[in-house]
Amino acid sequence: MNRDVGAVILVLVGSSVLRIAGDGTYLRYVKESLHPWLMASGVLLVVLGLLALVDVWRSVRAESRARRTGADPGDDQGHDAGHGHAHAAPRAAWLLVLPVAALLVVPPPALGAFTAERQAATTVAPAFDAAVPPLPAGDPVTVTLGDFASRAVWDDGRTLVGRTVQMTGFVSNGPDGGWYLTRLALTCCAADATVTKILPVDAPSRAPVNTWLLVVGQWVPGGGTQSETAIPHLRIVSMDVVPAPSNPYE
Amino acid sequence: MTGTSTTPTSHETRWRPGGVEVLVAVLLLLLLGQQWLTGLFSSPAWQAGATVFVAIVVQALPFLVLGVVLSGLIAAYVPPSFFARALPSRPVFAVPVAGLAGVAIPGCECASVPVAGGLIARGVTPAAALAFLLSSPAINPVVIVSTYVAFPNNHVMALARFVASLVTAVIMGWLWLRFGRGEWMRMPRRDHLVGSSSFETFRRTATHDFLHAGGFLVIGGLTSAFLNVVVPQSWLQAVADRPVVSVLALAGLAVLLSICSEADAFVAASLGQFSLTARLAFLVVGPMVDIKLVALQTGTFGRAFSSRFAPTTFVVAVAVASLVGWWLL
Repeated sequence: MNRDVGAVILVLVGSSVLRIAGDGTYLRYVKESLHPWLMASGVLLVVLGLLALVDVWRSVRAESRARRTGADPGDDQGHDAGHGHAHAAPRAAWLLVLPVAALLVVPPPALGAFTAERQAATTVAPAFDAAVPPLPAGDPVTVTLGDFASRAVWDDGRTLVGRTVQMTGFVSNGPDGGWYLTRLALTCCAADATVTKILPVDAPSRAPVNTWLLVVGQWVPGGGTQSETAIPHLRIVSMDVVPAPSNPYE
Repeated sequence: MTGTSTTPTSHETRWRPGGVEVLVAVLLLLLLGQQWLTGLFSSPAWQAGATVFVAIVVQALPFLVLGVVLSGLIAAYVPPSFFARALPSRPVFAVPVAGLAGVAIPGCECASVPVAGGLIARGVTPAAALAFLLSSPAINPVVIVSTYVAFPNNHVMALARFVASLVTAVIMGWLWLRFGRGEWMRMPRRDHLVGSSSFETFRRTATHDFLHAGGFLVIGGLTSAFLNVVVPQSWLQAVADRPVVSVLALAGLAVLLSICSEADAFVAASLGQFSLTARLAFLVVGPMVDIKLVALQTGTFGRAFSSRFAPTTFVVAVAVASLVGWWLL
């Protein structure tokens, strides 16, 4: 690969990172905490790319000047007026066009029902044996699917009794034509997504797969407890279609 | 562009069509075919695969940038003679010291190969340079911190990785000292990234390392995304349940995936169905033996070297990772 291509690729990679960090698209792929690092590395890549372009431009100018004066271009500017192979950019860099194309042309969507349906629901046991704190005030009180499932599965729903909760999740297919209220969670990036599923009880209707819903309801026993793969139940009071949240993961 | 100022009849090679022109054409075609591409990739499996691919690359990029900046700074501002002076003169002692010195060189395996070549060129005993080559991509602070971050519930993983990688590197150095032959190794050439000033050296090293490692990171991301979407979970599950097979399976996966050591901890963290020992083997083998690294070693030291060195390293790394995993995890 020629150095000029390498320089352009650097600028492209840097600017596509800056673009997804700037418009929030990055939340489809990684966690919010990575944002400052993405901005910094994007700026750095663009600067490195521009410096490399300046370098290429200088050596081309030096070469044409050398040609005008009749000198052998190889003698001029020693290190960088050769034939471009001396420090050509590595050929592997062409592969960086792929993520650039994906990010600038068609940014892939956030993970959804396809990923959720391929995996068993996982509700990881709380790390410490401390008492589960009561839910905050509010009627209904807004909770995450992960929090709800953790309370239902690992605390036998004690803190959920008599409370009305409100959660945002999407629809994924369940067995026998049923559906789950679903949300994915990331540890680092979308490659390690885990899924929380909640089985709706008495749902008035069913929305298409991947529809985002704001659901209000009450916990009812069922689905098992004290197991990572238990799926808690929720009696639906109301459910409304809502736009996808800016951060699709919990 | 400035290319218009050159005469097309000359033996100009830098501006032959095929460089930037091809790149621009590819990107234009992609933009024009956006609608068509969106339709082509509308199946949920394709989309999930693309998302995972982009996610791995985006997650790894800041770490990669940090690594190449540091490796560029060291290439520019720390003279190789410093390392030659800092090492004990007796090779037996130089090996562990060089292995530990890997801590000081943050960078991924792509950066350590040229550094090790430069050390040998400056008269460092090859066994010590090889211990450094193996240890530095695995035990440097950037990699250990990213391992620590990637395993929030198993912080001992970072320690286990450090110990297993250092032990493997030192054993390999001593093995080379005892059994290695000079004629297997083609002496490395001078680094072409040295510029007219320290800043130039820094800029060129960082740029080159990023483009090189970035390209291989894309291969790793693609392979990983493919496995993520195509391989049924039950397959990995079937292997994951068997202790010995799962260690070998993940060690082999590390060779195939060729992920940069600054990013591999996050991939290992996502392989949750495997035991911690198997994932440790993944983390120890990956920075020492993988497809891209063997290619780099062959390029720098010759085939006679890499065809002996890489398989031996694999065996030693798997054995040490199993022992350390059994002890610490």
